[in-house]
Amino acid sequence: MNRTVYLDHNASTPVHPEVVGAMLPYFGERFGNPSSVHGFGREAREGLETAREQVAHFLRVGKEEIVFTSGGTESDNMAIKGVAMARRQGHIITTRIEHHAVLRAVQYLETLGFGATYLDVDGHGMVDPDALRRAIRPDTILITMMHANSEIGTIQPARALGAIAREHGIPFHMDAVQTFGKVPIDLDAFHIDLLSFSGHKIYGPKGVAGLYIRKGTKMVSVQHGGEHERRRRAGTENVAGIVGLGKAVEIRGRDMAEEGVRLVGLRERLWEGLRCRVPEVRLNGHPTERVPGTLNVCFRHVESESIVLGLDLKGIGVSAGSACTSGNVEPSYVLVAMGVPLDWAMGAVRHSLGRSTTAEDIDYVIDCTEPLVAKLRAAMPARA
Amino acid sequence: MRYSPALIDHFRNPRNAGMMRDPDGVGEGEYRECMDLVRFHLRVRQGRVLEARFQAYGCGPTIATASAATEIAAGASLADLLEVPAEAVEAAVGGLPEARRHAAEVAVQGLRAAARDALGRAATRSEADA
Repeated sequence: MNRTVYLDHNASTPVHPEVVGAMLPYFGERFGNPSSVHGFGREAREGLETAREQVAHFLRVGKEEIVFTSGGTESDNMAIKGVAMARRQGHIITTRIEHHAVLRAVQYLETLGFGATYLDVDGHGMVDPDALRRAIRPDTILITMMHANSEIGTIQPARALGAIAREHGIPFHMDAVQTFGKVPIDLDAFHIDLLSFSGHKIYGPKGVAGLYIRKGTKMVSVQHGGEHERRRRAGTENVAGIVGLGKAVEIRGRDMAEEGVRLVGLRERLWEGLRCRVPEVRLNGHPTERVPGTLNVCFRHVESESIVLGLDLKGIGVSAGSACTSGNVEPSYVLVAMGVPLDWAMGAVRHSLGRSTTAEDIDYVIDCTEPLVAKLRAAMPARA
Repeated sequence: MRYSPALIDHFRNPRNAGMMRDPDGVGEGEYRECMDLVRFHLRVRQGRVLEARFQAYGCGPTIATASAATEIAAGASLADLLEVPAEAVEAAVGGLPEARRHAAEVAVQGLRAAARDALGRAATRSEADA
């Protein structure tokens, strides 16, 4: 059987055909440097600014508040270091379950003398707004946290968290790489001052992303060079990529709501199927406050990577919750922070659905998973 | 991670998976960093392995190398199994990526332990018979 099913959309998505169509001219006849004053440059600039308008329209903000970057990691680094460096010292609040782009940026700032607090999460991966309130110090200069976690999909109570940040006059950065274009984000209602988003999670190209910077937010550039992006991010813009991102965002504005409903239905179909047919399986993440297409489960006493490999041999692409690198298996730090016991956490598998996922795909994955887990468990020794 | 066709075949169709009733030797190999655990059961006749079976917890390569190790063990003398090199298991699965080479080590550790156990049991029986 040559069937393939891709359930790793939180890692990356296929570029939408309309996005490819929008980008193609910018690899050919519209190749100019958008900083050039001649017609070739103006043509490229036009594509760039159209994309900026598309993103600004989607977020309902001013286009001058959008900066394009090379990826979610750069957006996070720009936001965190940019705000911190502008103040030279102070205390930063984040959580234990952030993406490494946030965690390591904050850890780096700690080496420079900044203070940091890493908030715990509950069993669903949710941050407690009261814990945020308690962590605030007189010298707190930034609150940075993800809107939804990439592994488990739990959506944080952004409105409550943002209100606390605003109440204390602290800039609030939200890493929305996993939610932008998937669930509604109201920047004003959530009091968000900086928002990271990425192209390749929403059927745009890789290597292009952005950062929303609320007007008046005090920060410095962390990348120095030319006058690009209103002096906030030096470097010739990736015009074709940015045009693709703009188109992808426009399409999300059109399709997001309907697709979200469809994906929740498919996600629940997958969970029901696994829950009913595979013994000792548990759901990771919040039961309802979750990104529509994300389902993370643990198969007790089975090793994630053997499930990923077994499903891969059936043409199914999912992601392992534990990572074996350089001969060490680390259970997911996100699941550990949530208090998931080790014998469960080692068997975590993330399924992330997307626009091409069908009910038949879901049934196929369930049909393949049940015997695979049974086979792996049958060959498993009981530990002394 | 790229795996050889031989490794994939052993993972997909593990040989001799499961337990054995009244084995003549039992041994385990463990790699704590990955929580890998492999257990072998041996049936021995006149100092040679008649049948080997395995149980394994770990990543795909750990299951594949354990499967391949049972084929290496079958027909081998216990004395040979005490010396079985990790390279033999690695070769039987068509090689291993650097980050997964511990899988072959766990398998030979388990095989050697099972061979030692079988030799020990045989010695105990001889003493009892004498």
